Amino acid sequence: MLTLPGSLSGWYVAALCLWACVTLIGVFRRHSSSPLFPIALGLGSGLLLVTAILGGNRVMTAPAPWFLAVSPFRFSADPLSRWFLGIIGIVGIAAAVFSPSYLHHLRKRVALGFVWSALALLMISMSLVVLSANALVFLVAWELMALSSFALVASDHEKHSVHRAALVYLGATRTGTAFLMTGFLWAHYLTGSWSFSAWHLSGGEALGPALLIFIGLAVKAGCWPFHLWLPIAHPAAPAPVSAVMSGVMIKTAIYAMVRLLVMGHLDCPVLGPVVLILGAISAFWGVLFALLQHDLKRLLAYHSVENIGIILMGLGLSMIGKSLHLPFLAQLGLAAALFHTLNHALFKSLLFLGAGVVDARAHTRDIEQLGGLIHRMPWTAGSFIIGSAAICALPPLNGFASEWLLYKGFFGLAQNGADVGGRLCGLLLMGWLALIGALALACFVKAVGVVFLGLPRSEQAQRAKEGTRSMIIAQVLLAVLCAGLGIAASVVLVPLGSVVAFVQGESSVLAGVWTLPVPMLVVVLVLTLGALALWMLVSSRSKPARRFITWECGFGDLGPRMQYTASSFAQPIARMFRAVNRYAVQVDVQGSGRKHFPDAVSAESEYEPYLQTRVYTPALKLIQDMAGAFLARLQAGSIHQYLAYMMVALGLLLFLGCRS
Amino acid sequence: MILLLLVFINIVFVPLLLVGVIRKIKALMQNRVGSPVLQAFYDIGKLLRKSETISGTASWVFTLAPRLNLAVVAVAALLVPWSGAAFPASWGSVTNFLLVIYLLGLGKFISMLAAMDTGSAFGGLGASRDALISVLVEPALMIGLGALALGAKSMDLSVIYSTPASHFVAILVGASLIVIALSELSRMPVDDPTTHLELNMVHEAMILENSGRNLALVKLAVALRTCIFFGLAAQTFLHALPQYSELSQLLRYGVGISSLFVVGVLVAVAEGVLVKLNWRRVPNFVAFAIALSSLAALIAVARG
Repeated sequence: MLTLPGSLSGWYVAALCLWACVTLIGVFRRHSSSPLFPIALGLGSGLLLVTAILGGNRVMTAPAPWFLAVSPFRFSADPLSRWFLGIIGIVGIAAAVFSPSYLHHLRKRVALGFVWSALALLMISMSLVVLSANALVFLVAWELMALSSFALVASDHEKHSVHRAALVYLGATRTGTAFLMTGFLWAHYLTGSWSFSAWHLSGGEALGPALLIFIGLAVKAGCWPFHLWLPIAHPAAPAPVSAVMSGVMIKTAIYAMVRLLVMGHLDCPVLGPVVLILGAISAFWGVLFALLQHDLKRLLAYHSVENIGIILMGLGLSMIGKSLHLPFLAQLGLAAALFHTLNHALFKSLLFLGAGVVDARAHTRDIEQLGGLIHRMPWTAGSFIIGSAAICALPPLNGFASEWLLYKGFFGLAQNGADVGGRLCGLLLMGWLALIGALALACFVKAVGVVFLGLPRSEQAQRAKEGTRSMIIAQVLLAVLCAGLGIAASVVLVPLGSVVAFVQGESSVLAGVWTLPVPMLVVVLVLTLGALALWMLVSSRSKPARRFITWECGFGDLGPRMQYTASSFAQPIARMFRAVNRYAVQVDVQGSGRKHFPDAVSAESEYEPYLQTRVYTPALKLIQDMAGAFLARLQAGSIHQYLAYMMVALGLLLFLGCRS
Repeated sequence: MILLLLVFINIVFVPLLLVGVIRKIKALMQNRVGSPVLQAFYDIGKLLRKSETISGTASWVFTLAPRLNLAVVAVAALLVPWSGAAFPASWGSVTNFLLVIYLLGLGKFISMLAAMDTGSAFGGLGASRDALISVLVEPALMIGLGALALGAKSMDLSVIYSTPASHFVAILVGASLIVIALSELSRMPVDDPTTHLELNMVHEAMILENSGRNLALVKLAVALRTCIFFGLAAQTFLHALPQYSELSQLLRYGVGISSLFVVGVLVAVAEGVLVKLNWRRVPNFVAFAIALSSLAALIAVARG
């Protein structure tokens, strides 16, 4: 089979075998929920993590009889692949620990064995994507990933919304793969080889393949304007699957971008600014539309679009730095992007797992029906708050660390950019990132405030209970990792620096880049906080705090309807950006004394996702109309027509054959 | 020893004195005698001696928020050279302006959560409006300080505020910082800090449920933030004068504190003269800060 030069790749093969077993057993025993599934999945992820951290760089090729059409099965593990393998491993462990209890509550509607099988296949294909060394193996693994995630999105397939979500997702992956395949074919035509390391193109030649490959990968990553499938597909999948998809699967597209466009020799200077601009727009668009959502998982999915935008801004900065011959900028941008990839995987998985607990216990994802969950599920609420603080890039958590690197990169662009325009863009991009951060803060205060704080807005929220111990353990693990990576950022930058140096092919210039004394700051903060808390505690001995009702202006019983809703919270900001999202509130007042003594008041807020209603829906309708009007006529069912086609095709082939 | 004394004066004495001075000037403008200048100290003392009432709906977030907010703002007040006294540049970039902005953001995050914790409409109102204001203030602050940092070739506030800056950049960024300060601190014309009407509650709505000891911590944090933002604006204006950076440390501190009080007095006069804006016009006003900062950035970049 595969050659095994050393025991560490043996561990990876062991992980693959464990997952393959889960896949096969799950297909044959569709409704079983045996504890072996999560154990095998978790163990496989753990082995993957070990391979990522301790493995060396090697190339594994399957020997002669095993060929994939025209190229061998070749896998290569190098620092870049291992960074992504590590991410897959950590999120896989968390998902494996969380899933059994979560899937238990879905057991009546969903074939559990099949879900485990598809999840294992997804893990296999993701790790193969990250390790593949030539285009054909990459495409096979890519397609496996798409199919297994389609099966996972469609798990709860009795719901109509899940139907639609799964089909939209399938369509999006087909489109992305089509672009990717065309790009790969073009690159093969220009270079004559399928292997990634042999693709050396530059200038005008590189533009075509690079652009097509970028579009194909952007569809998968969820970059604007190809992001529409993400908020539709991710909420439809079960929560741990959403965590894996949002945390890791879209990052495989980022991996491919780094390998082919940043590290690879498809030198295309135009692509840098394009990636940067698209990343900036994605980040803004994602967070703006996240503010308007009241489905908790859709909100988190839009935030994935935002964070992919931030990662792409780092990649764009890196490509611009490379074209300007500024190695510090190139390495810093790439370091920020890769670090943010890891951080986003951690805190987004944490948030999705928290949303999963809320969904499983309160039986609704609509945040307007939730509230007061912090008293009923304290551990979930605590980890969700830590995850929200991390995604809002608040120090000393890990989101701040990676965004700080990106800010520093933009400041470097402002100092060393080629011309006044470039330098001004550096400063303005810092402001843009701050705008996005403030919008994310608003959105997560809304999410946490409406879901966990205040009074419960429905019976279900009132009766919700805490998740099981394994659910709590998975979330606490991720929360601790978030905090740890933030505080120990300078330690993480050591392996990250070597990955970046490997990608750029030169020695690392990032040695002293992390100058913030975060651990000392944390110690000072904790001491100050401790001193204040102690002071308050001591002074409260004589006069303990009195518990009473919330101030209701003397009007009496304050029900949960008096609280701010999520739509009200988002209204000022949504209104400010109404040029982008067409936000409007229709208020209808009925009654004889309409102005002061109404009988009924109805208020309806609406927004229009421009891209969906003005671009995609008409385009899809046009394609359907053309298919109906034009293409259907070609397949009329008439045998005379088909015979005529065959005659014409034969004549054409004879003509072409005689010419040469 | 002197450093510790200075720190104590900065953190405890100056903020409350500034708040008292502002209130006194506003009272004089309204033809009243007003409360004594040291009233803020008496208020804090009174509040610390009172017991507090906490809503039954509130959770640990509500109790943690004033403590964490004050801790964060106090650490930020130590890092930001708002009074002219600054950390020496050799302390590592602990005064990196990104760290400071995001530390203040951490305080804002936890206080917005505490506002929503009690399940009252006021809290949601205040938090949602505060979110809108911070969406406009953060980019302005980032671009403005970035423009200054570009001139000083460093992202550390202690280095930025000890190198002389170009006149135009400093004046524009200073003006932007004044607008940012008025918005962040919920002063006129963005919000009236003396009333509790729904028309103009941003900060007051968020802290409505706090009482007793918690309220004392909240008021201290507000006073410190006032000092940080007004002090930063004063320092930025002072840095347009090249002679300022050449003064000795003690003289710089003295001039810094006096200019802070001058800014406070001017803001108090402005508050007496200005009318509070209709809430729908507030984003237009706060966006002025973004425009001023961007102009400063353009000039800073063009100077090379």
